[in-house]
Amino acid sequence: MNLLQAPAQMRALRAAATLAFLSNAFDGFIVFTLIVQPLVIAVLGLWILRGTGQDYGIYVVVGSGLTGLWSGLLFISGNSITSERWTGTLEMIAALPTPLAIITLGKTMANVSQSLVSMIGAYLLASIFLGYPLTVNQPILFTASLVLMVFAFVSLGMVMAPLFITNPDVQRWQNAMEFPVYILAGFMFPILMLPTWTTPLSYLLSPYWAAVALHETSSGEGDPTTVGTAWVAMIVLSVFYLILSRYLFRVLLRRARRDGTLGLE
Amino acid sequence: MPAIEVDHLRRIYRTTIGVVRRRAKEVLAVDDLTFEVGEGELFGMLGPNGAGKTTTVKMLTTLLLPTSGTARVMGLDVVRQAEALRGRIGFIFGGERGLYWRLSGTDNLRYFASLYHVEPTVSKQRIPYLLELVGLADRGAEKVEGYSRGMKQRLHIARTLLHDPPVLFLDEPTIGLDPIGAREMRQVVLDLQAEKKTILLTTHYMFEADALCQRLAVVNHGRIVALDTPQGLKRLVRDMSVIEVELFGVQHDVADKLRGQAYVDSVSLEDQDQRQLLLVQTARGSEAVPDVLLQLEGLRIGKVTVREPTLEDAYVRLVEGAG
Repeated sequence: MNLLQAPAQMRALRAAATLAFLSNAFDGFIVFTLIVQPLVIAVLGLWILRGTGQDYGIYVVVGSGLTGLWSGLLFISGNSITSERWTGTLEMIAALPTPLAIITLGKTMANVSQSLVSMIGAYLLASIFLGYPLTVNQPILFTASLVLMVFAFVSLGMVMAPLFITNPDVQRWQNAMEFPVYILAGFMFPILMLPTWTTPLSYLLSPYWAAVALHETSSGEGDPTTVGTAWVAMIVLSVFYLILSRYLFRVLLRRARRDGTLGLE
Repeated sequence: MPAIEVDHLRRIYRTTIGVVRRRAKEVLAVDDLTFEVGEGELFGMLGPNGAGKTTTVKMLTTLLLPTSGTARVMGLDVVRQAEALRGRIGFIFGGERGLYWRLSGTDNLRYFASLYHVEPTVSKQRIPYLLELVGLADRGAEKVEGYSRGMKQRLHIARTLLHDPPVLFLDEPTIGLDPIGAREMRQVVLDLQAEKKTILLTTHYMFEADALCQRLAVVNHGRIVALDTPQGLKRLVRDMSVIEVELFGVQHDVADKLRGQAYVDSVSLEDQDQRQLLLVQTARGSEAVPDVLLQLEGLRIGKVTVREPTLEDAYVRLVEGAG
C-alpha cells in the first residue's frame, strides 16, 4: 500500500466499520445470532452441568459467549457478503480505489467488536437472572486475553472473507462450519473429550487458543505457562492468518475477475 | 493521446454443462474489439442484448480480465495498472442495484466518497453540489429504498462523480426509466460532456445514441460491425426505404418468409403492446409494397406506410447483416 494513501485508507476503513456497525444494530437476525442463540446455549450448559458440584458458571458464560462470537463472525460477515452480492454493491466496491481487503477489514472489526455483546449477555443472564455467583479469577489477564481474542477472530475472519467473496454458495459453507468449530475449539467442553486425531485441528484454530486463555483466566488458575502459550499461539496464528488472507485476496479476486463471479450476471 | 485505447480485445466466458458428465462450454462475449475514444469525446456502443457491451465496460473498469488483447484508459493498462486506474474512472451499470438501500442518498455518497479517497473537506462541499446537479437536493436525507428507479439512477451518477474522474463509463444509464426520467438522465449526460468528460456510453436505444454520441460503434455478437458518426451510419441506408406494416397476432416466423426475397434488404418484427410492427428495408421503395403484402396474405394487417430510413434502420441493417 502506498504510504501517501494511508490516511485515505484509514478513513475508508473507518467508513466501512461504521456502515457495518449501523447495519448490524438494526438487523433482527444478527440480534438473534449474537444474543438469543448464545443465551439458549448458556441456559442449556448451566442445566447440563448443574449436578457436577463444581463452580462452572463462568466457564459456561465464557463458552457460550465464544459461540456467539464465532457465529457472529461466520454469519454476519458471510451474510454481509451475500447481501452485497445480491444488491450489486460487491461488484461496485471491487472496482474502487480502496482495496476490497481494507473494506472487509473494517467490516470484520465492527462485526467482531459487536459480537462481544454475546459474552455480556450471557454474563448478565447467569449472574442477574439465574443468580450464579460469577467472578473472573484473573481480571487483568482475562481482559488482555479478550483483546487478543478480538485480534484472533478478526484475522480468522479475514481468511474466510475472500473465500466467501469468491464463492457464491457462501451460505452452505457457513452452515457447515458453525458447529464443528464450537466443538473443535472447546468452547463449551475441553477438547480432551474428543478423539486425539482431532487435536492438531484444534491447535490450528485461533478460537481454540482464545477459549484456552479465556477459560484459564476466568474459571481456571491463570497458570502463566498455559495462558502464555495461548497468547503466543493466538499472535502467531493471527499473523499467519493475515499473511494467508493477503495471498487469498490477491489470488481469489484475480480468479473472480477472470471467471466473472463477483456479480450475479 | 486517446483517453481509451482498445486493441484486439477478446473475452470468453468458460462454464460447464451437465451434472454427471461435465463438459466445458465456452461463450465468446467480446470478439477482437479495437477502437479508440478521444479525450472529451462522447462515444457510444450500440447493440442488442448480449452483444458484449456490458462485458466490454466491465473489462475497461477492471471488473473482468480480458481473455486476450489489451486496453488502456488514460494511458493505464486495465490489467497491470488496475489499482492506479480505479481512482481515475467512474462507472455506472444500468438498473437500481449497487446502492445501499437502507442508507439515505447523502449517506451513500458519504460512504462512497470515503472509498474513493475524497478528502472530507472536499466531500462536504461536493456532495450537496452533486445532489443539486442530479436533481436530488431535496431528497438526499431520505432512504434510498424510497427512491424511484430514476432517482436511484441519478444517485449513481452523483456517486460516480464524487472523485471528479476524467473518464466515465455509463452502461445503459436510461434502462427502465420512464420517458421523463430518461430525458433528465440524457440532459445530465450532455452536461457532463459539456464539462469535457470523456464518456463511453452503451445503449440499445437508437434515438439516445443519435442525440448524445459523437461517434458510435455498432456491436453485434461481440464484434464491431460499424464505427462512424450517427450521420455516417445513416448514410449507409440513404438509398433505402422502409415499409412499415402493422400486424396483429402473427408468429415471429413471418419475418423469415420475407427474408429470402430478392428485393428485401433486411426485415425485423417488433412487438408493440397489442400489435406487431414489421419493418422491411428495400431499395425499391413503395413499388415493393404489393410484393410484401403478397407474402403476408391471410394475416390480419393494419396500416401500411413507407418512410425514409433512420439511424434505427441503419442499425437493423447492420445487425441483421452481421447476424
